Amino acid sequence: MMDELELLKKDWQKRDKEIPQLSYNDIHKMTWKKSSSIVKWILIISILEFVLPHLLYLIPAFKDSMHIYDTLGFKKYFYLISAIQYSVIIYFIYQFYKRYKEISVLENAKLLMHKIIKTRKTVKNYVVFSLSMILVTVLLMIVGIYLSEDFAQTLSEFNTDSTLSPDKFKTVLMIGIGVTGTLLTLFMGAIYFLLYGRLLKKLKENYKKLKQLEI
Amino acid sequence: MEHQFVTNLQSNQNIVHKVCTLYTNDKDAHNDLFQEITIQLWKAYPKFRGEAKFSTWMYRVALNTAITLYRKSKRTIRTQDYDSVIFKIKADEYDETEEEQLKLMYKAVKQLGDIDKALVFLYLEDKDYREISETLGISEVNARVKMNRVKTKLRTILNP
Repeated sequence: MMDELELLKKDWQKRDKEIPQLSYNDIHKMTWKKSSSIVKWILIISILEFVLPHLLYLIPAFKDSMHIYDTLGFKKYFYLISAIQYSVIIYFIYQFYKRYKEISVLENAKLLMHKIIKTRKTVKNYVVFSLSMILVTVLLMIVGIYLSEDFAQTLSEFNTDSTLSPDKFKTVLMIGIGVTGTLLTLFMGAIYFLLYGRLLKKLKENYKKLKQLEI
Repeated sequence: MEHQFVTNLQSNQNIVHKVCTLYTNDKDAHNDLFQEITIQLWKAYPKFRGEAKFSTWMYRVALNTAITLYRKSKRTIRTQDYDSVIFKIKADEYDETEEEQLKLMYKAVKQLGDIDKALVFLYLEDKDYREISETLGISEVNARVKMNRVKTKLRTILNP
């Protein structure tokens, strides 16, 4: 085996002359191209993850829910939750930026992989936090509707279907919000984990192999 | 700075070509990886202070890009692609047994995992275990142990 590998080494080093060479211009052009590395993708996906949930508020249904909060007297809680939420988001953005900046192609392979995984963990924690917040909001809405005494009155603004009794409509609305909220959370979670799972599969395998060497 | 970088890379481009040949299976993927490595080298160039040789510095960036940063994974082994320019064996240079042996060896190396390939690559490039261990981020002892395991693995591939 040793001899075979030595033979390969000898042959390998002789091949330099046969490799087709790129011109100065070819290489120069390449320096202007955009990178498509996984670090770049993590950045793009993360920015989308920070921005997308906030776009939800532009959807009419979410505007309606704000109106419901208002009529239910939940507005102040909503503001409190929003304040906490934004402080946590700012913390996550800061953490993400710090870790993202630490990633350098000049590290050794293991450290580079470790830093990418650490950056990704920040995004993962953020996603878990956002999804929990959606669930808390949904829960708060359901509790609000349930506790509200004068809900029938409030409903008249939304209930255009007169065949449903106010009580029945209340139940339907609660179940509807609960199911939609949960499905939305699951859907967003699934997309996230599939996306990252695919993106980082190779990296994780290689990192595991390098880590195994330490044992 | 840009001129200096392009000139430096142009005269050392074989390192990148060899990495691309090991880690990709067709011409498109080869060019794609070459481009990504060039971009990463260029992005990191301001941090290159000439303490190390440009080529030494290139090994690390090129391998990191191939193993970790490169996204597309057209990594299925297709034997017909194996005789890319670098791996083409010229019949008149070797006797038949040697030629056959080399062909099998190159094929076996292509079948290794990413980390194992990096080890073999650095070994073939005549790097010592200190440099191998520093590039991969493992201890020198572990680099030796790993290299021995890779040799065993190659032997198994060659003599199933």
